[in-house]
Amino acid sequence: MKNLCLFLLLFLQVYILPAQVKINASVFGGIEPRALGPGTMSGRITAIDGNASDSKTLYIGTAGGGVWKTTNAGASFTSVFDKYCQSIGAVAINQKKPEVVYVGTGESNMRNTVSIGNGIYKSSDAGANWVKMGLDSTEHISKILIDTTSGEKIYVAVPGPLWSDSPHRGLYKSEDGGKTWNKILYINERTGVADVCFNPQNPQILYATTWEFRRTPYSFNSGGKGSGLYKSTDGGKNWKKITAGLPQSDYGRIALSISASAPHQLIAIVEAESTGLYISRDGGEHWKSQSATMNVTARPFYFSTIVIDPKDSNRVYRPAFTLSYSDDGGYSFNEVSGDGGWVHSDHHALWIDPNHTNHMYLGTDGGVYISNDRGATFTFCANLPVGQFYHVAVDKAEPYNIYGGLQDNGSWMAPSEKPGGISNGDWKGVYWGDGFWTEPDNSDKNVCYAEYQGGNAARIDLRNLKSYSIQPQKSSKEDKLRWHWNTPLVPGKKNLYMGSQYLFQSTDQGRNWTRISPDLTTNDPAKQKQEESGGLSADNTSAENHCTIFTITESPFDDKTIYVGTDDGNLQITTNGGQSWKNVSKAIAQAGVPAQTWISSIFASSHDPQLIFATLDNHMYGDHQTYVVVSRDGGTSWKRITSPEFTGYAHKIVQDRINPSLYFLGTEMGLFVSIDGGENWFRMKNGFPEYALVRDIRIHPVTDALIIATHGRGIYVYDDIRLFRSLTPELAKQEVFLFHQKEIPLTDGKYGGASPFSGGWNAGNPESMIPIQYYLKERILDGEVKVEILDSTGHLIQNIPASKRKGINKVFWNYRIKPPKVAEGGTKLDFGGFTAPEVLPGIYIAKLTVRNKIVYDTFKMVHKDEDHYTMDDRLLQHEVSMRFYNMHESLAKCVDNLNAEQELIKKNKEKIKSKKNLAIANQYYNELENLRTTLLASKQKSIFADEKKLREQISEAYGTCVSGHQRPSNTVIASADDLSKKVEDAVQQYQQIRNTNRPKLEKAFAAEKIEISTKP
Amino acid sequence: MKKLFSLLLTFSFLGMGVHAQTADEIITKNIQAMGGVDKLKSIQSVVMEGKINAQGMEIPISMSMVKNTAMRTDFSVMGMNAWMIMRKDSGWTFMPFQGQTKPEAVPADMLKETQDQLDLEGELVDYKEKGSTVEYLGMDDVEGTDCHKLKLITKAGNVHYYLIDPKTFYTVRRIAKQNAGGKEVEVQVDMGNYKEVEGGFIFPFTVTSMGGPVEMTKIVVNGTVDSAKFSPGM
Repeated sequence: MKNLCLFLLLFLQVYILPAQVKINASVFGGIEPRALGPGTMSGRITAIDGNASDSKTLYIGTAGGGVWKTTNAGASFTSVFDKYCQSIGAVAINQKKPEVVYVGTGESNMRNTVSIGNGIYKSSDAGANWVKMGLDSTEHISKILIDTTSGEKIYVAVPGPLWSDSPHRGLYKSEDGGKTWNKILYINERTGVADVCFNPQNPQILYATTWEFRRTPYSFNSGGKGSGLYKSTDGGKNWKKITAGLPQSDYGRIALSISASAPHQLIAIVEAESTGLYISRDGGEHWKSQSATMNVTARPFYFSTIVIDPKDSNRVYRPAFTLSYSDDGGYSFNEVSGDGGWVHSDHHALWIDPNHTNHMYLGTDGGVYISNDRGATFTFCANLPVGQFYHVAVDKAEPYNIYGGLQDNGSWMAPSEKPGGISNGDWKGVYWGDGFWTEPDNSDKNVCYAEYQGGNAARIDLRNLKSYSIQPQKSSKEDKLRWHWNTPLVPGKKNLYMGSQYLFQSTDQGRNWTRISPDLTTNDPAKQKQEESGGLSADNTSAENHCTIFTITESPFDDKTIYVGTDDGNLQITTNGGQSWKNVSKAIAQAGVPAQTWISSIFASSHDPQLIFATLDNHMYGDHQTYVVVSRDGGTSWKRITSPEFTGYAHKIVQDRINPSLYFLGTEMGLFVSIDGGENWFRMKNGFPEYALVRDIRIHPVTDALIIATHGRGIYVYDDIRLFRSLTPELAKQEVFLFHQKEIPLTDGKYGGASPFSGGWNAGNPESMIPIQYYLKERILDGEVKVEILDSTGHLIQNIPASKRKGINKVFWNYRIKPPKVAEGGTKLDFGGFTAPEVLPGIYIAKLTVRNKIVYDTFKMVHKDEDHYTMDDRLLQHEVSMRFYNMHESLAKCVDNLNAEQELIKKNKEKIKSKKNLAIANQYYNELENLRTTLLASKQKSIFADEKKLREQISEAYGTCVSGHQRPSNTVIASADDLSKKVEDAVQQYQQIRNTNRPKLEKAFAAEKIEISTKP
Repeated sequence: MKKLFSLLLTFSFLGMGVHAQTADEIITKNIQAMGGVDKLKSIQSVVMEGKINAQGMEIPISMSMVKNTAMRTDFSVMGMNAWMIMRKDSGWTFMPFQGQTKPEAVPADMLKETQDQLDLEGELVDYKEKGSTVEYLGMDDVEGTDCHKLKLITKAGNVHYYLIDPKTFYTVRRIAKQNAGGKEVEVQVDMGNYKEVEGGFIFPFTVTSMGGPVEMTKIVVNGTVDSAKFSPGM
């Protein structure tokens, strides 16, 4: 009984006590990153489907950037899959109901770096909302086919897991819109289905190709007994294996296409000992081998697409290294020309508009290209920011530069900000090949380092972009050097490091090297047979190199302490510059990480020399767990960091340089944040793709920026993470919290610029004015939220529309008072009425009202000297601006009075009976009108006319004076004198007209028994 | 002891969370939050006054709506008056700041998009009778707040999403998929500052669209609205 009571008490505590505020992305509400893109070098495109009845609408599936939709034939794209897995294998539209779209996650171009999926998704409203429809464990989906002849039958080709056996492979079919699935073709746990097509005139006739394949961390195999070509004539119930005319040996991957206009014609590329092109003219029963060019047969595991023109069965396209085409049904092929600009190599998707077959969309390793002439020439879509970065780095320039290398797209750099914002043209290609580590030299601003696959590193002179190869060469005392696909190339404080199986150190920018370690890997000979890799087709591009160093980290406390991680599970530490090494992999295994697990990154704390973090990645053994470990004793013992929030294998963890409890973790499926030293974690959202492939994270060493490299969504930058640093769980419990600003520099923004945006991708700039920031525990739906700015005496000087979202809100004040009231009743807008003088330096108060609660923050606005702008200049600018401001207000008051008098006459004129009295009213009205037409533009009927009266003259001088930080010119000051005199005159004239006419009018109205107010 | 067990049982259910809601349950609660179906159906006209604030410059705006008949929006910048009239059969705009000197007719597709707003009781009320369909799409995030998401397809085929707060059942956001000049666009409107006005009607006093927030200052329901307002006279 006692125990039960205790249990109940605990239970009540859990369920009944006031809930703690869960720290998650919503708490950080308004803090959103900049998506830097760029679109300059896009990323790998894996699937394209277009709406046949509206060929301007297409969905683009990408290797790591989700799904993008265009409704204007590529003029612009919108990401429609931000909340889900970003690796896409297949996209299919139901062409009878084009609002129904299916997306299969998990790319099926089975290269070493391919990501994984988590099932199939369906949208019933053209991509606005998605529902997961199962097939969760398939990992890779290569094709979705929809038969709409009666209802909707969906076929899904599932190659299945790349790194492990799996019963989830095969061809799946659903007849209830994806609610349930039947596996209708299955060979074994090592063989999946790579391709499927049906006879469009009789969709009961189906063809599918099965594929046996497997990767290990150190090898690749494509081919085996399981691979084959199958045909069904009953919608997939029964299958027969087709062999007639096909090679006698084992097959690898088979790409297949059927002619829509002549469905007895099929064409296949069959990977075999001798890969070839095969044609069938009898519905797939018999096949005939054809000679084919290298481009047609090359790399069949990676180039798995062949497409027949929907209208012309003789026109065949083969997207591969380049695009080949045939005009004779596949008997011979030519390659398309490069006229009109280079088309990125490595093609994986091609969509041909079935109604206008000259019009096509090609998906490559470097984005989408559009052709309007059957592929003869192509135009690049420079607005699809799906670049696949491996790493990111920053320098300390002002503004700082960002460096990174991309899958099949070289190494690049760009400034973090500039006038007009960061756009495609600001990215500078510094090195070619597949790009990986791209690192600035820490002491020479003219140098960066970059590489292509397999350790082909170079020093780049940033003044002229000339490159100098620096890869260390093998000495007679060393084994053959093993360089990873993504070889670490890491500058320390003074030294430069590169790792093969040995660690190399250079003290002179890679001109000379010293080996400072023995082989730090397991050096397991069984894992070093890369020359045999590929399966039926040799494929040895350094992608399978193994037993290599993958990550190198120099201690921020001591450059003699270096941490090295290998792709076969060793974490080695030296504390004496490489004289001796200690392997701590056993201690990591004791923390619960399988041996051999790839060390994907090591992070050495800058707060504590004993504190080390590492991420580990075991997906190449079929294990997708998120492995993160921490050691607080310099690597002797390790503990796992876990969270139910984590998804995806881990790539990088960093600890903030200011707040030691703030961690960021990047995995294959998301960015995660902890503000309590790794105890609790949340997934980043708020403008960041929720399942982005986060490959690298950097915290800028000087600014407050967090820079993230994604493998499919380009670079993201959080320009200011100070609130991540300062927000605590205690603060988050408060209903309302207004963040304190100590000092705000009075700036008019950092950049100007007037060029119109010329397309492509533009990431904008960091916010250059400090906002008013507050926290709301919940979104406010039933009360007012107001932000007002008061001066030090409590006088209201500005009110700003307030946002009401849950979490952090940002409200931008332009540091100006309210604009002047300008004279009303003209025929055009007067832009003087939209601008106001900046406030003077001093104490100001932000007043935040949330329902009935009011909170204040007192802060100081400060002047900072700028070129030709001292405090004295500022004071004069303010004084002269306020003179114009007051002129506007005086004139507005005068015109208001004048308008009121005219209105009074207009309203009562019809009641006047006597001609004499009418003449008095008209006289007064006309005199006022004559004056009014000199005070503001009143005749202008076109926006192109330029009628300038007193109001417009004041605005012109006021606008010149008030905008931008500068001392008013002599002509501005002179015009202030001149115009203030004119305003005084106008007011006087009005008074004179009124004094002369008003008594007469009142008398006339009295005679007519019209009652009016006689107040002045 | 027995009681203790039953108490325990009750608490364990508390921990199981809210059961799945149907679209109709959510709509019923949304309508209740807005004052109830009778209240909503009794709305014949609405006149709203408010302002748009652009860094301190306030632009007065007013809207007059007569149920299933017409609506008119007026706003004024520097004494220049602009307006927009939408009726069942036709619409006009007058925007003098763009150099317009006389009212212009509203294109048919734009008129079609605005017709749903003439349904003053709200299109969720009696949606079935109105020929609309509604689907519950589950929870979706609105700037950190998890909301019920409903998809409504009107008889005319217009698609509108409603995001409804699970605590108050107020509509937080409405998204209309529209076709503007051949391009698909989403028009998103956020609502907040729900308040009761005279007569017991509930209205959002802050309505935020792409153009920024409009703060209402006064809302009158079932007052007199001069039908002459809805003619394109100057």
